[in-house]
Amino acid sequence: MDSDLVIKTTNLTKSYGPHVALNKLNISVPHGATGLLGPNGAGKSTFLKTILGLIQATEGEGKVLGLDIRTKGDEIRSRIGYMPEYDSLNPDMEAIHQVRYSGELLGMNPIIAQARAHETLQYVGLGEQRYRNIGSYSTGMKQATKLACALIHDPELIIADEPSNGLDLAARNHMIETLTNTVQLGNRSVLMASHLMDDVERVCDNFILLHKGKLAAQGRIEDLKGFDREIEIHVWGGASRLYEAMTDKGMSVRREGRVMRILHEDEDTTSAILGCAAEVGAQIRRMHEYEASLEDLFLSIMENLGYEVKSSDDLLASPAEARKVDAPEHMGGGAS
Amino acid sequence: MNEGFDADAEPKPDEHVPEAPVTGKVRLDAAWGSTEGDEDLSVQTTVASKNEGHIFKQQYKPWEGELNPRWMRNWAILRHHLLGIFKKGHRPWGVPIRLFLLVVFIASLTDVGMTIVSGLIGDSGLHSIWGVSRDNLYGHVLGFFPRNMLYYPVIAALLVGGVISEDRQHGTSAMYFSRPITRFDYVSMKFLAVALIQALIILVSLGLYYFAEIVSMGRGWAWILDTFPMFLAAALSGILLIFTYTSIGLALSSVSKGKFFPGIALLSIVLGTKVLAFIASNLFDRDILYLLSPYDCLAHVGQAIIGTQPTYDQYAWTWSLASLAAMNALALFVLSSRVSSMEVTRE
Repeated sequence: MDSDLVIKTTNLTKSYGPHVALNKLNISVPHGATGLLGPNGAGKSTFLKTILGLIQATEGEGKVLGLDIRTKGDEIRSRIGYMPEYDSLNPDMEAIHQVRYSGELLGMNPIIAQARAHETLQYVGLGEQRYRNIGSYSTGMKQATKLACALIHDPELIIADEPSNGLDLAARNHMIETLTNTVQLGNRSVLMASHLMDDVERVCDNFILLHKGKLAAQGRIEDLKGFDREIEIHVWGGASRLYEAMTDKGMSVRREGRVMRILHEDEDTTSAILGCAAEVGAQIRRMHEYEASLEDLFLSIMENLGYEVKSSDDLLASPAEARKVDAPEHMGGGAS
Repeated sequence: MNEGFDADAEPKPDEHVPEAPVTGKVRLDAAWGSTEGDEDLSVQTTVASKNEGHIFKQQYKPWEGELNPRWMRNWAILRHHLLGIFKKGHRPWGVPIRLFLLVVFIASLTDVGMTIVSGLIGDSGLHSIWGVSRDNLYGHVLGFFPRNMLYYPVIAALLVGGVISEDRQHGTSAMYFSRPITRFDYVSMKFLAVALIQALIILVSLGLYYFAEIVSMGRGWAWILDTFPMFLAAALSGILLIFTYTSIGLALSSVSKGKFFPGIALLSIVLGTKVLAFIASNLFDRDILYLLSPYDCLAHVGQAIIGTQPTYDQYAWTWSLASLAAMNALALFVLSSRVSSMEVTRE
């Protein structure tokens, strides 16, 4: 239903002369958390600027929170909170004053903005550090301050551009947790542009994938992950023979050394794998359903779109310990 | 335990009266209970109390308030820049800038002080040098040394240096443009803030100078009516000077990512062109190059509207006015085009 959508675009197109930055995008972002994915140059930044009402679309139309992006840019920017990817803080100011000022720029009364600055800084975990100069902050604290600036007026939609960029593990977890809480406890919507698939997967239910200005895919992450289910096996000896046997039988197999992933086509796939293993005398030491990560799916989609996928290490990122149990080369183990 | 002991009975003469009831315990036992529980079979374990509380509990607090309209957002920008001169929590102007502003403000009050002194001691010679006159009103705003060599251009350079360039440098432009702030509002409020700080020194000290003359010399309405047009002309010259220095300075700030270049470039333009025109005038006896100097053009126009003896007498003052208009138009064009290209997603 359209009333549940926080962003909806119809044939949204943005051209810079002959260069088409956004090409007839039909995007529907529902309430909740949505990840905006895409390689560099996919059009993510142009899309964000267009929905913020900062640049005019060449064709098509779009609505953010039910407001027309062509005519209601100011109102849209009043009702959303934007967390930029890059530095957007004055290092010589204390965080409390910077966050208060960001509220004042939205039209908040200075006294109310000050009170809200305390609350939001407390919320993002900087309660005890709020009177420190931003210049002395770590990257994680700066990111949290930017998030506080975006949250000060309790916006209905938060647009977070690479929120966990450059953060260490603890800070990254905290940022992810904060965004998740904002969605779940605060009942707010988040549009999160990120190249860290893991982060998107942890925060978001939905995703949008842009590629060369076009919409490559959109929908629920769960649905996408269930689309191509695979069985992962770890083989002891005869991995190459097993690989050949399975491909001869028409199975779709991705392999790296002794670790293989076979497309789970139907309920007979498991017995077919075991049958092949028995035929060629290979031992299967481990067999389990493999749930593809968003990163796998992203790379697969990119590959289908003609992008060169990095390496098979990226596709088959199984832990190194799993391979240690495999047979060495001289005992008939498959070449890695 | 205290069998046979009657606390209320009168003691007999030779009887030993215990200070405390005898309980069979030595004092240490009584004090510390060291024998108590020694024979118990039950094991006593001390369990450290577990802190069940959260050091940090994340709790989302909604806000139901309403946002104020455009004028309040613009006021926030203006207030942020202006109050930063006086107190913490707003735009952080550097301590050297604030100190220099104070020094220049005090120095700008020299003629105020001397007017008061001449009034107090009744020295007409001193008053003829320092008191309000056509030339002195011109000198207060447009006199070259020291005001337009050491004071006002330096103040403008210090103020405009980082006003826009630091937004590029720190990416704080995203803070403005991702909010309902238009480019026009952004640049006009910054322009106004810088201009008002300069006005605080140039125009306020001019007003104090005029007021000091009235008070210390006991000037009446006739004198005020006679001299007020001159005062207004001087104020108008001051506004022209502030506007020109600010527009050139902000244009330079908008093309830079640091505060050093715009400051130095403004000083170079104001003082360099003046020196160039001076050299050309002395070498070739041609004054035409003064039209390239913002200060010379301001001085020429100022002399015309205040009514002092013009020192640029080879050309009409309207040439200087046209030159000033062209300089300001160019500066504002650069400023607006650079500000409109400032990014939100990256800078």
